[in-house]
Amino acid sequence: MIVFTLGLTWTLAVLLSLLDGRKHPVGGIALGGLAAGFAGLLVLGWEVFTNGPVTMVAGGWPPGVGITLRADALGVTFAVLSVGVILIALAYEAVSGIESRTFPALAMFMAAGLTGLFLTGDAFNFYVFFEIAMIAAYALTGYGERARQLRAAFIFAVVNLLGSVLFLIGVGALYHLTGTLDMRMIAERVAAAQPNAALLTAVAIFVAFSLKLGLFPFHYWLPAVYTGVRPSVAAMLSGALANIGSYGLLRFGGELLPQELEMGATALFVLGTTSIIYGALQAVSRRTMTEVLAYSAIGQVGYILIALGIGGPVGFAAAVVYAIINSLNKLLLFLAAGLRGWMVGAAFAVGAFSVAGVPPAAGFLGKLVLFQASLAVESVALVALIFIGGALSFVYSFQIYQRVFWKPQARAYKISPSTARLLVAGVAGLLLFAGAWPEPLLALGQRAAAAVLLGGAP
Amino acid sequence: MILVSALTIAVLFGVGSYLLLQRDLIRVVVGIILVSNAANLFLISAGLSRGQAPIYPLEEGVEVSDPLVQAMTLTAIVIAFGISALLMSLVYRVYTSHLSLNLEDISEAEVREEESIESREVAED
Amino acid sequence: MKTSVMTRVVARVLLVPALVVALAILIKGYADTGDGFNAGVIAALGMLLQYVAFGYEEAERMMPVRLVAVIAFGGLLLSLAVALLPLFWGLAIFTHVPGPGEEVIHLGTVELITPVVFDIGVFMLVFGFAVGAIDLLARAIHRRET
Repeated sequence: MIVFTLGLTWTLAVLLSLLDGRKHPVGGIALGGLAAGFAGLLVLGWEVFTNGPVTMVAGGWPPGVGITLRADALGVTFAVLSVGVILIALAYEAVSGIESRTFPALAMFMAAGLTGLFLTGDAFNFYVFFEIAMIAAYALTGYGERARQLRAAFIFAVVNLLGSVLFLIGVGALYHLTGTLDMRMIAERVAAAQPNAALLTAVAIFVAFSLKLGLFPFHYWLPAVYTGVRPSVAAMLSGALANIGSYGLLRFGGELLPQELEMGATALFVLGTTSIIYGALQAVSRRTMTEVLAYSAIGQVGYILIALGIGGPVGFAAAVVYAIINSLNKLLLFLAAGLRGWMVGAAFAVGAFSVAGVPPAAGFLGKLVLFQASLAVESVALVALIFIGGALSFVYSFQIYQRVFWKPQARAYKISPSTARLLVAGVAGLLLFAGAWPEPLLALGQRAAAAVLLGGAP
Repeated sequence: MILVSALTIAVLFGVGSYLLLQRDLIRVVVGIILVSNAANLFLISAGLSRGQAPIYPLEEGVEVSDPLVQAMTLTAIVIAFGISALLMSLVYRVYTSHLSLNLEDISEAEVREEESIESREVAED
Repeated sequence: MKTSVMTRVVARVLLVPALVVALAILIKGYADTGDGFNAGVIAALGMLLQYVAFGYEEAERMMPVRLVAVIAFGGLLLSLAVALLPLFWGLAIFTHVPGPGEEVIHLGTVELITPVVFDIGVFMLVFGFAVGAIDLLARAIHRRET
């Protein structure tokens, strides 16, 4: 089962590259294939949650020799989330008409890369899949091929390549320190490594993932890219690709380098706090919707970093839950930003409330788990920060909602296709549902956090 | 040997970073390629050991150099190869749409474009 | 831009040796140094030389460049098939047939194992991709000059 989605998306991506993505049936094939892959991941997820992690070693080699594919609760959760986001963004694009030959194939390559990345147990293999997903993303950023998109793609590619290089150096250093690439064996052996070298490696890996996430000091590329690209691509980048950052920090920080993560907790708090405040203030002061959303994305990842800094079962669970909700929020908001017509305003409002952390939307749950986590470490400053951040995000969410959906429309907007609007409404419904019935999501977060702490056990 | 490879990596990285900060897009791309090659070299050095090439048949009692770092580096080279082709085509596309490879001209075009968007929106308000 | 006669002669003469070396590296890969990627790059270098010496129109006449995408993605599919097919026999992905230590069918000194097929796929992918990229950039330069 573990290779089903990977093999399917890969094969389809290759086949779709040869076809013209603008034709209707091609979009249909891509959608159907990706939906099948998504279903496969759900089945795999069920297996993992009932029977524990699924492992497979490529080539039938003994473990430690061959490349391991391993699906545990954390990986499967992120894989389902990311492929789901890509599926919805692809459906959105297919409904409103794909304009480029390569769009379905690239989305498929990205799904294949992300699936592989979340389900691998090998540090170098992680890098390879990571690059596959990133290369698809670079090409997707240029989708639309107007000057604006091309500039965005160039900035995105150059900055993130530097991040990839740093990560590659980090992987090389991990191999040098531990003599293995298997994540579990690295986790066992890294404690015996020289502490300074391990800390330096951890910093390189942290910077690499922060670049992907767009955390405060490494955020400079993000606004230019998110405002430059098309709504569906922005949704894929912030809803699916940015998950690499949160997953990577959880996996490499929480599981492989736990001591270094603990040592850096203060740095994480400082960076997370500046990220939240900076992102929120910038978002409040911006006028265009996509710009507000881009800066809001910078602020929102700050919360994930804080949860990571808190650490332990509570903190990691909070980070997972927050990452899931954040990626659904961003998917909804970026998609709704590109639409006009009935239901879109309501859907956008749900997304905006969710970002602000107002019940009953799921964002409230995200803020709540963070709140609990900061109570667990008895930090007044963190509680206050979450309140301030929440208040600021309420201000900017309401501002854009008011500016875009309340003002009398000066120009006659073309009403978007009803299927696209239904899709957006469906995501909004999902967020409301998750907010109203939070138990499954919380349980998911706890299982995933347990997987991080126990080094891959269920 | 370790010193030599450390120095080479440092020089490659330094030159690459310097080029990355230039205003010409081609130089930026060359800088990226140099930096990623520095990383490849770093990867090789992660398992630097003296020994015979790890290909069968092996002589008895002779040390074998680490094949894994070489396999990893080969993969990283392949990825860098693909990425440089992608970057080249991106640069070409940017060139055709802006008729310039200078970052200053390009950012000027960006500022102009943004101003026109903002003035349109202010007019709507 | 016109290149000298010397360049053109050398380019033409070097094409076949480049392809032969590529082929040798490709199939010897499992008993000696080499693999599909290196072979693909060497073969593509041979083609690059033609582009440099003769310009893209002449080079395209020598090789069906339209097929390049098909070669590349066909190679990728071939490699994928070799990687995934063992699943249908209940084996892990990328399983070698025949496995390590088992008796291999020899064709001269060439050992016939499934990784060779995988590498042929890689070769096609790399060659197709590289020639495609070269062709794209060569056309771009040509368009700018005219």
